[in-house]
Amino acid sequence: MEQEKQSRRSFLFNLGIISAVFLATVTFIRDVIAYLVPPRKKKKFHKYLVAEELELPVGQAKEITISKKPVFVVRLKEGYKVYSGVCTHLGCIIHWEEDKQRFYCPCHKGVFDKYGNVVSGPPPRPLDQFEVIVENRLVYIQVEEKPGGPWA
Amino acid sequence: MSVKQWIKERFPIDYDKFVEINERIFIKEPIPNHMKKWFYCAGATPLILFALQVFTGILLTFYFVPSPEMAFESVRHITEDVRLGFWVRGLHRWGSNLMIISLLLHMTRVFFTRAYRKPRELNWIIGVILFLLTLTFAFTGYSLTYNQLSYWATTVGTNMIKEVPLVGHWLLVFWRGGEDVSANTLTRFFTIHVGLLPPLIIFFISLHIIILRLHGVSEPEGFEKGYYPFYPHHFYKIVIITLFLLAFMSTLTIILPPGLGEPADPTVTPFHIKPEWYFFPTYRFLKLVPLKVGIYATGAFLLVMTFWPFIDPLLAKTEDRRRLWAYGVGGLTLIITVILTVWEMMVA
Repeated sequence: MEQEKQSRRSFLFNLGIISAVFLATVTFIRDVIAYLVPPRKKKKFHKYLVAEELELPVGQAKEITISKKPVFVVRLKEGYKVYSGVCTHLGCIIHWEEDKQRFYCPCHKGVFDKYGNVVSGPPPRPLDQFEVIVENRLVYIQVEEKPGGPWA
Repeated sequence: MSVKQWIKERFPIDYDKFVEINERIFIKEPIPNHMKKWFYCAGATPLILFALQVFTGILLTFYFVPSPEMAFESVRHITEDVRLGFWVRGLHRWGSNLMIISLLLHMTRVFFTRAYRKPRELNWIIGVILFLLTLTFAFTGYSLTYNQLSYWATTVGTNMIKEVPLVGHWLLVFWRGGEDVSANTLTRFFTIHVGLLPPLIIFFISLHIIILRLHGVSEPEGFEKGYYPFYPHHFYKIVIITLFLLAFMSTLTIILPPGLGEPADPTVTPFHIKPEWYFFPTYRFLKLVPLKVGIYATGAFLLVMTFWPFIDPLLAKTEDRRRLWAYGVGGLTLIITVILTVWEMMVA
């Protein structure tokens, strides 16, 4: 095709249209992505009372339930530790074996020591821990706040 | 091997011919001179709006839950919680209103320029079908928000279907999914709105455009004969309309955001119950006459409107007289429609 010389008028017209379409498209796509991707929420925590400080002798654990999930409260020499009772392998519930001072998962023979570290078996990472706060001889853990309603 | 070559081997079509056809059909489509006037571009507007409706509609289904317990709550969630949800919903809501306005303008223009004349009668009929499909879209759409207005509009609207002779009751049960408005009604309306109507309307839109292209755009009198290619002038025009519509609908959404209303309560009918404005003429008319008369008259009006291109030549022998008839009937319809609409708007 023969190269036609563009008039200034039609050049400016084309430039106007193209930049308007470009800007509209970019902002439109940005807005649609914002609509589709839910914003990341800041996690909120609240304190949850799990034990009195002198309730358990050193080397003992107790099992409690938080939001239908088992949680182990263990008193060590260093202080209290609180672990999620859900095995990090495939989600079975672990047991506390006091005589061996360890956690045992019956599903695939995963073993965790009293610090929650993997000793043997298939679990890929240590047990999940809660942050422990001791105030006025009471032991609390930080529990993540889950907003209610269907859109949580 | 070039990419073009690779594709050609796997998709063996005559590439040059494809380019040629594409040029002939789209790029160099002859557009008659009168289309340079914005007034004659009201046909592309509903098409653009429909495309936007499909897009925003798909976006809304990401969050909307069609159940009596969740429908209202999910619309609230979209409007109040989801980032830019109010905007997407506003675009969809205003898009539906503008689509009906642009269709009314398009139909009025086509009617008064008598573009429906032989051999374009079928395209007028398809146009009427498209208009009715759009109204069905609108009706099923606003029923989904499940607030008081939409719940009672669904109840009243489906009750009217019952009056259709012979198949009325059957139609009522079909639309409601039972004798009463229930969870079945909501899922039905949802499925019809997002699953059944879109392919149907796309089929008729395609047919409308194919017939339009086969005959060429009807040319009104009083314009210098001549054509210009689709690209770039008309193409840019469509781009400009699209951008304008997006900006316009976004502005409307901010100035007049779609509200939520009261959640649907099947035990309490609100005192002031009104349908959307585009049903005002029918609604006001139904208040004036007995139900049976209203339904039959509306049906008769629809039939006359649909088959007008075949009625028009029967009314007079000369073109001039036929034009007078069309102006008379069209003008009367417009005046009555406007009066009924305004009347319904004025009274509570």
